[in-house]
Amino acid sequence: MKKTAIYQRKRPHASRVFNKWVQSPRWFWGFWIAVAVCLAIYIVNVLFGRVHPSSVWGLGYGIAAAVLFVGIFTYALRRRTMRFRPGRTWYYLQFHVYGGALFLLLMFMHVGFKVPHGAHTWWLWALSIWVVVSGLLGIVLQKWIPTLLNSGLSIEVHYDRIPELVESIKKKAETLVDSCSAPIRSFYRKNLAPALVTPETRLIYYLDITGGLQARTKQFDHLRALLPADEQEKLDALQDMYRTKLEIDAHYTLQKALRWWLYLHVPVSILLVALLIVHLYAVLYY
Amino acid sequence: MSDETTAKDLAAEERERLFDDRWSAYGANTGIEQISERLSPEALRRYDIFQPYDDAFLEKLTPDITVAQWKADAILFEEGNYLDLAFYVVEGTVDVFLKKQRDTAVLPIFDASRIVTEDELASDVNSDPYGKTVFFGQVEKGKEGDGITYLSTMEFDLPYGSAVQLGPGEIFGEIGALNGWPQSVTARAETDCTLVQIRVPALRQMKKESSAFNDRIDTIYRERTLTTQLKLTPLFRGVEEAFIDALAKKVALVSCSPDDVIAREGDSVDALYLVRSGFLRLSQQMGEGDMVVTYLSKGMTFGDVELLIDGIDTWQFTMTSVGFTELVKIERDDLLAVTQRFPAIKRRLWKTTVTRIKETGYTRKHLDKSELIEFSLAKGLVQGNSILVIDLDVCTRCDDCVRGCESTHGGRPRFVREGEKYGNFLVARSCYHCEDPVCLIGCPTGAIRRANVGEVVEIEDSLCIGCSNCATKCPYDAIIMHDTGTTWPETALPEWLRGRPRKVASKCDLCQDSEAGPACVNNCPHSCAFRVGSVEEFQNLLAVDDA
Repeated sequence: MKKTAIYQRKRPHASRVFNKWVQSPRWFWGFWIAVAVCLAIYIVNVLFGRVHPSSVWGLGYGIAAAVLFVGIFTYALRRRTMRFRPGRTWYYLQFHVYGGALFLLLMFMHVGFKVPHGAHTWWLWALSIWVVVSGLLGIVLQKWIPTLLNSGLSIEVHYDRIPELVESIKKKAETLVDSCSAPIRSFYRKNLAPALVTPETRLIYYLDITGGLQARTKQFDHLRALLPADEQEKLDALQDMYRTKLEIDAHYTLQKALRWWLYLHVPVSILLVALLIVHLYAVLYY
Repeated sequence: MSDETTAKDLAAEERERLFDDRWSAYGANTGIEQISERLSPEALRRYDIFQPYDDAFLEKLTPDITVAQWKADAILFEEGNYLDLAFYVVEGTVDVFLKKQRDTAVLPIFDASRIVTEDELASDVNSDPYGKTVFFGQVEKGKEGDGITYLSTMEFDLPYGSAVQLGPGEIFGEIGALNGWPQSVTARAETDCTLVQIRVPALRQMKKESSAFNDRIDTIYRERTLTTQLKLTPLFRGVEEAFIDALAKKVALVSCSPDDVIAREGDSVDALYLVRSGFLRLSQQMGEGDMVVTYLSKGMTFGDVELLIDGIDTWQFTMTSVGFTELVKIERDDLLAVTQRFPAIKRRLWKTTVTRIKETGYTRKHLDKSELIEFSLAKGLVQGNSILVIDLDVCTRCDDCVRGCESTHGGRPRFVREGEKYGNFLVARSCYHCEDPVCLIGCPTGAIRRANVGEVVEIEDSLCIGCSNCATKCPYDAIIMHDTGTTWPETALPEWLRGRPRKVASKCDLCQDSEAGPACVNNCPHSCAFRVGSVEEFQNLLAVDDA
């Protein structure tokens, strides 16, 4: 391997599904070992006494969860210090994901797997669950959507540039239509123009990445049969533009999901941090 | 008018349009005292090198030719420079030498610190008489780590510590220019000189039009370079010098244009070919079409299978040039004489033969390999030393790779997350750090260069005059022109820059100053950005995906 090359080591024995969902077996198995150790400790703990947040063991679990939480939060800091590159972001994300799941387990152990009674602790408990579950949702989306995007689309677009691209397709289409015969102009106004105005979100793309492309472009076939050769070429060009627009819509719909789930995760995480600080202060003060 | 003709005309028009800019830029801060306006065919014919050509032909050449007056002691070029022109001496004397061996205080054209030769990196240079001139040793394919290197070019076969003087009627710089290689020597005007400067498009046309000129260039190549190149080619390692000298006189030099068929499957075998520069596509007939089996690059041989295995008298592959390609053709009898006398060569050829047979079998069984080779040849991946590929099956389109690049390079990202798709991978529009970087050729200030004689190609902002030469030349759109928001001062050289908006070319430098490695890979949270250094590595990545 050349020194300018950095590429993944081959994992020939792993299945495709395992390769896809588990990027690093080391992290994966490390996590499960940590879970097993935590549960084993907890079981031993339960056998010898009651577990509650203010007991020595309960406090220990709580401190471990809080320390882990600080570690998990470094992922956000890493993404804001790209210039300095303190280690590969990938490691931070692995820690963020597996550490997040372990945090939830330690939090449950801290409260003895019971629902807390106080309002503050109840919110801490509920928000922790929300943050971890929304994080898991994010993982599912991040594993599922890229594969979906890559499965049936011929183009690759930048999310931020989508409105600009749609606008440019619309302009090109309108310029082309101006030079077309009346039937094409009428067809364009009735069937295509409304679809070219803005990027559209369509849920069908979650089920079928082509979004019924075949069916939607079928409408061109009837008109094509009625047109002379040179007009047919123009209609074909319009069809290509329409097809591109539909693919952009697919990107828009799915890439939007990849971004919007963060609204479920990040603001609540920040709230959780604030509540956790208050919680730690309260514990130390009282 | 065909599309091809139109494209040619446009290229000619573009060359003419750029005539002034391109030549005057060479005069900045150098020893050029005077440079000619565009010359007429009559004016060109005053020089004997152009006498074989008619007016119509010379008219086509004129945008690529100029006559310059260089003052004594001026450095024409230095070791490691990439030039897209050759020099023909009309008057005066040019001194050609290895810069490191001269105790002179001549000022370099631009920035001497950029010339870092491999000998400066090596601990024991004196053990190798050629150590002083090695620039970019090419590691034999598949044998990395063995330290087997050979010179990619030796414009002059200079013994250690010596120099050569060139006078009227002599041509130099053409080997590096035609092959896209760095210059292996430094050239200095010993006296005031008048030099005709001929760019590569004109050189190629002149070679094609006149067999006399072609022979002249080939003879120079044989005299100055070929022996050394053969000696240092892995195939001929260990062969006696006298024998190589004799072989060098016998071999033929073949220049190919893009898509030339050099050998056709089924035709009778006549020779062994050794690739001097460029790439060749090897294909075999399969069904109704041709299937690409593999490709050959600098230093590789073709014909071994046919010449070594008894009972095979015809080519087993069709060999086609991918771009401009230079070959050495060794006739069957000459090769047999070499192999009889030096069995080690035969063993090396057998090794290549076995590899090629295995490759052929593998490709015929796995057609996707053939598709990958086709793609790699078409998109230039074969050239790359470090190609950024992104696994789209994993990529969440978060653009952290671009943001990481941007924050590392002062707010100017060096690539865009766009490009060709192959399988699940996006080959991003980021510098490939090519084996033979065409972007380096003709940079008027030497701003774009190999960093520390490695594989990395970088641009020095302070030297860049924003002429776009490199961006235009890069076939992969990997160089971006950035507007700095300032204008050139009234003291700027060359003069045509004054008052113009200041632009700089920018491209991936592989974050070579950072120990953390490339920011794009380092900042990818999903580990889906990779740098591959060869087609084989790319194939390995694809194989991971298929596992």
